[in-house]
Amino acid sequence: MSALRWISSPAVRFWRSARIGYTAACVWLRYKGPRWWDRALGRDPDARDLTRVHERNAEQIFETAVHLKGLLIKMCQVIGTRSDFFPPPYVKTLSKAQDQVPPRDFEQIRRVVEEDFGKPLDAVFSEFETTPVAAASLAQVHAAKLLDGQTVAVKVQYPDIDRIVRTDLTAMRRICRIYERFDPQPIELLPLLDEMQKHLELELDFRREVENADRIRGLFANDESVLIPAVHHELSTQRVIVMEFVSGIKVTDTDALQTAGIDARRVVNGLMSVYNRMILGFGFFQADPHPGNIFVQPGPRFVIMDFGLAKQLPKGFGMGLFELMFSMMTFNEAAMIRAFEELGFATKTGAEDTYVELARRMIGASDDGTFSGEFTEEMTDELFEAIRENPIVKVPTDFVLVARAFSLLSGIAHTLGHRANVLDSMGPGGANSRTESAFSS
Amino acid sequence: MATPSIQTPLPDEIASGAAPGQLEFTPQQLLANDPHEEPLIAGGVLCHGGFLDGDYVSPRCLFRTPAIQNWQRRLLDEGHALISLPTRYVPPHYPNYAQAKLLLQQGVVDPITRSLTLISIVEGFGARIRDVPLPDLRGEIVENIDGTALAHLDQGLLEAHARDEAGHRSEGGHKQMWEAARDLGLDKPEVPEDVLLQMMSGQRRSRPERAFPDLSERMEALISVMSNVMVIEIFAEDVFEWAKQLLGDPEVSADPAAGAAMVAHIQSDEKPHVQYLRTALSELRARTLRSEDGKREIPGQQVVDEIFKRQLRGMATQRPREQREQLRTEVRQSFEDEARATELARQFDSLDSGWVFPHRDDEPIEILLETA
Ligand SMILES: Nc1ncnc2c1ncn2[C@@H]1O[C@H](COP(=O)(O)OP(=O)(O)OP(=O)(O)O)[C@@H](O)[C@H]1O
Ligand SMILES: [Fe+2]
Ligand SMILES: [Fe+2]
Repeated sequence: MSALRWISSPAVRFWRSARIGYTAACVWLRYKGPRWWDRALGRDPDARDLTRVHERNAEQIFETAVHLKGLLIKMCQVIGTRSDFFPPPYVKTLSKAQDQVPPRDFEQIRRVVEEDFGKPLDAVFSEFETTPVAAASLAQVHAAKLLDGQTVAVKVQYPDIDRIVRTDLTAMRRICRIYERFDPQPIELLPLLDEMQKHLELELDFRREVENADRIRGLFANDESVLIPAVHHELSTQRVIVMEFVSGIKVTDTDALQTAGIDARRVVNGLMSVYNRMILGFGFFQADPHPGNIFVQPGPRFVIMDFGLAKQLPKGFGMGLFELMFSMMTFNEAAMIRAFEELGFATKTGAEDTYVELARRMIGASDDGTFSGEFTEEMTDELFEAIRENPIVKVPTDFVLVARAFSLLSGIAHTLGHRANVLDSMGPGGANSRTESAFSS
Repeated sequence: MATPSIQTPLPDEIASGAAPGQLEFTPQQLLANDPHEEPLIAGGVLCHGGFLDGDYVSPRCLFRTPAIQNWQRRLLDEGHALISLPTRYVPPHYPNYAQAKLLLQQGVVDPITRSLTLISIVEGFGARIRDVPLPDLRGEIVENIDGTALAHLDQGLLEAHARDEAGHRSEGGHKQMWEAARDLGLDKPEVPEDVLLQMMSGQRRSRPERAFPDLSERMEALISVMSNVMVIEIFAEDVFEWAKQLLGDPEVSADPAAGAAMVAHIQSDEKPHVQYLRTALSELRARTLRSEDGKREIPGQQVVDEIFKRQLRGMATQRPREQREQLRTEVRQSFEDEARATELARQFDSLDSGWVFPHRDDEPIEILLETA
C-alpha cells in the first residue's frame, strides 16, 4: 500500500482520531481534576496557579502534533497567533511546532507537481533539488531550474493534506461537542474551530497566496527597498507555486548582516517602515513577519515571502490604530476610548474604563512604564492577558493580527539590538521631518 | 513628574509668576498654568488653556513666558546675539489662500482636508521632542550653564512643549485643536484614507551625514532637532495666517468665526516654542563645545550656525518642492472629467505665488542676529 493510501485509510483515520481524543481527555482532566479536589476540600478553585498545568498540556499537545503532523501542526501555529485567547505557555510551546517538521519523501512531492502540471517533472524543469530548502506544515519549498536556465523556488503542498485536514477537523469537532456536554462551564471552542477551518481552506488554495503576493508587489511597485519574489503564473496551481528564487540574509542573522556591511539599525527602521506602510497606509498586509519569512539584501532591501496569511484591514483601521498609539503616548483617556471603539472593540457592559484599564496594563508592561511607540512582546502578552481576564466581548481579529505582527517585529528588532518604534518609523515622509534623525536614534 | 493639574487651584506665590531677573525654575513652575475661568473645548474635546474675561490664555505660561524673557535678557546683556531667520526664507503655504479658496469653491475639498489633517498629525508628532536623548550638557559645554534655557530643557521646557502639541492626560493639545479647526471650517469633512500613507511616502531620506563627527552623537542630534523644530515653528507662522484667512472666510468656511479663532489660539500657544528654542540655541552659540574625546574645543557659534543653516536650507527647498508636486497631482486627479480637470489646474496654477528660495544650492545663506 502506498504511503498516500495508507494515510487516508479508515484504520489510520480512526487511530488519528483516537490519539487526538486521548490528548484532549488528558488536557481536560488536568484542568478539571484539581478543581474537583479543591471543591471537595472547600478551597477556592479559582485561586490555583495554572501555569504549570498550561505548560504540561501545551507540551502534550505539541508532542501529539509533531507525531501526527498535518492539521495539528497548523493548528499549533494558529494557536501561536491567538494570544488573545490562549495563555502564554500554549502560545510559546505551540508556536515552536513549525520548526519541527521533517521533510516528506521526494516521490510524494514529485507526484503533486506532475499531477497538477499534467506532465513529467523534466518536461518543465531541467533540474530539481530533491532535498527541500524548507519544510513546513502544509508545504515544502524546493530549489529547481526551468528549462531556460532560470533558478526558481517551488513551493509544493503535501499530497492529501486537504483530506488530513478534514479528518482532523472532524475529530476535533466531535471532541469539542463531547467536551461541551460534559463541562458545566465550557469555553467556546467551536467558533474558534470554525474560524480555523475558514482560514485553512483559504490557505490550502495557493492561487490565493499568489494573488496576495501580486497585490503586495503592486503596492510596492515604485519602491526599490521591497522585493516580493516574482511568480511564474503559468506554472502555479492550487497546490504548486513556482517563483523566482531569491537569495538574502535571514533578517535575524546578525553575524551575516555585519559581514555584509549592512547596518542593523537601518534594517530595523526600514523593515518597520515597510510594515507601517502596509498596515497603516495600504490597509493590506503580510500578517506573518516571522524571521523565516524575511530576507535582507544589501541596500537594505527586504525580501518578503509567504503570503498565506495576508489581511485586508477595514476602512479607517490605520487611523484608528494611529490614534490609539497617540493616545497611549499622551495617556489621553478620552482619546483612548474613542480609538478602541473605532478599532471595533466592544465590552459586555459598555463600560469605557475597561479600555483605559487595558491600555494602562499594556503601558505598564513596557520597559519604562511609558508608551513611546513600540509594541514589545511583553506588552502584547500583557494586553492579551488583560483581554482574557476582562469582560471584552469583541476583540477584532484584525487587531490581534496587527498586534502580533508588531510584536514579532519588535522581537526581530531586539535580536538586532534595536527597538521597533512604530511612531518613529512612520517617516521618512515629508510631513514628519520633525521626527527625523535624532528622534529615531 | 508631579505637576499641578488644571483642576488644582494655584497657590498664591505661584499665581504671582516669576520674580524680576529670576533664572532658576522648577519643572512644576515651568508647567504651571495662568489662572483661567473656563476651559477650552474644541469639537467636543477638552483641550488645554482656557478663557479669562473672554480672552484666550495659553497653557503652561505662568512662569515659562517670563523665564524665557529673563534668559534672553541675560544673553543680550552679556553681549551675545539671539538667532533668527530672514522672513524672505519662509516659504508661503502651498496652496496659497487664493488657490485653496478656488479649490473649495470648486468642491475640491480633499486636498485641503488632507493638508489640515497632516498639520494636526505633525503637531502631534512634535511631542516626540521630549524623547530626544540629551547629551551630558554640563560635561560637553566648557562654560557654566546655570540659569539658562539650556539647563531647563529637561526641567520642564521640552515637556511643556510636548504637552502643548499632543495634549496630556485628559486634555487635548494642538493635534486636537487643528482637527477641531478643520471640522469647524470644512464642516466635519471625511478624512481621505490615504493621509497616513502620504505622510509615510515622502522623499526617502538617508541618515544625514554627521556635520561635526568630533562632537558626541547626542550633542549633534540635539542641535539638529532644536534647529529643525525652530525652523518649522517659524515657518508655521505663515501656515497660521493662511489657515485663519481660509477658515475665517465666510464664502468658504462653515464657521468662520470659530474656525479662525481656533487657529489663533494655537498660534498664540506656539510663541514660547520658537522663543525657548532660539534662546537655547543662542546660548550654545555663545559657548564652547567639547569634543567627545575631550581633546578638542569647538566654538558653539561655528557648530550651531552650520547645523541651523543646513536644516533651514533643507526645509526651505526640498519640502516645499515635494508638497507642491504632490498637491498639483491631487488637483489634476480631483475630476474624472479631463476638460474640467485641465481648466481647474490652469486656474490653480495662475494663482501660484511663484515663490522660490532666494538662493541657489551653492550660494551661502544668512541667519539673522538680534543684539541688545
Ligand atoms: N522565492 C523563494 N526563494 C528562496 N527561498 C524561498 C522562496 N520562497 C520560500 N523560500 C524558503 O522557504 C521557506 C518556507 O517558505 P514559506 O514561508 O513560503 O512556506 P510556508 O509553508 O508558508 O512556511 P511557514 O508556514 O513555516 O512560514 C522560507 O522561509 C524560505 O527560506
Ligand atoms: Fe503646535
Ligand atoms: Fe510648536
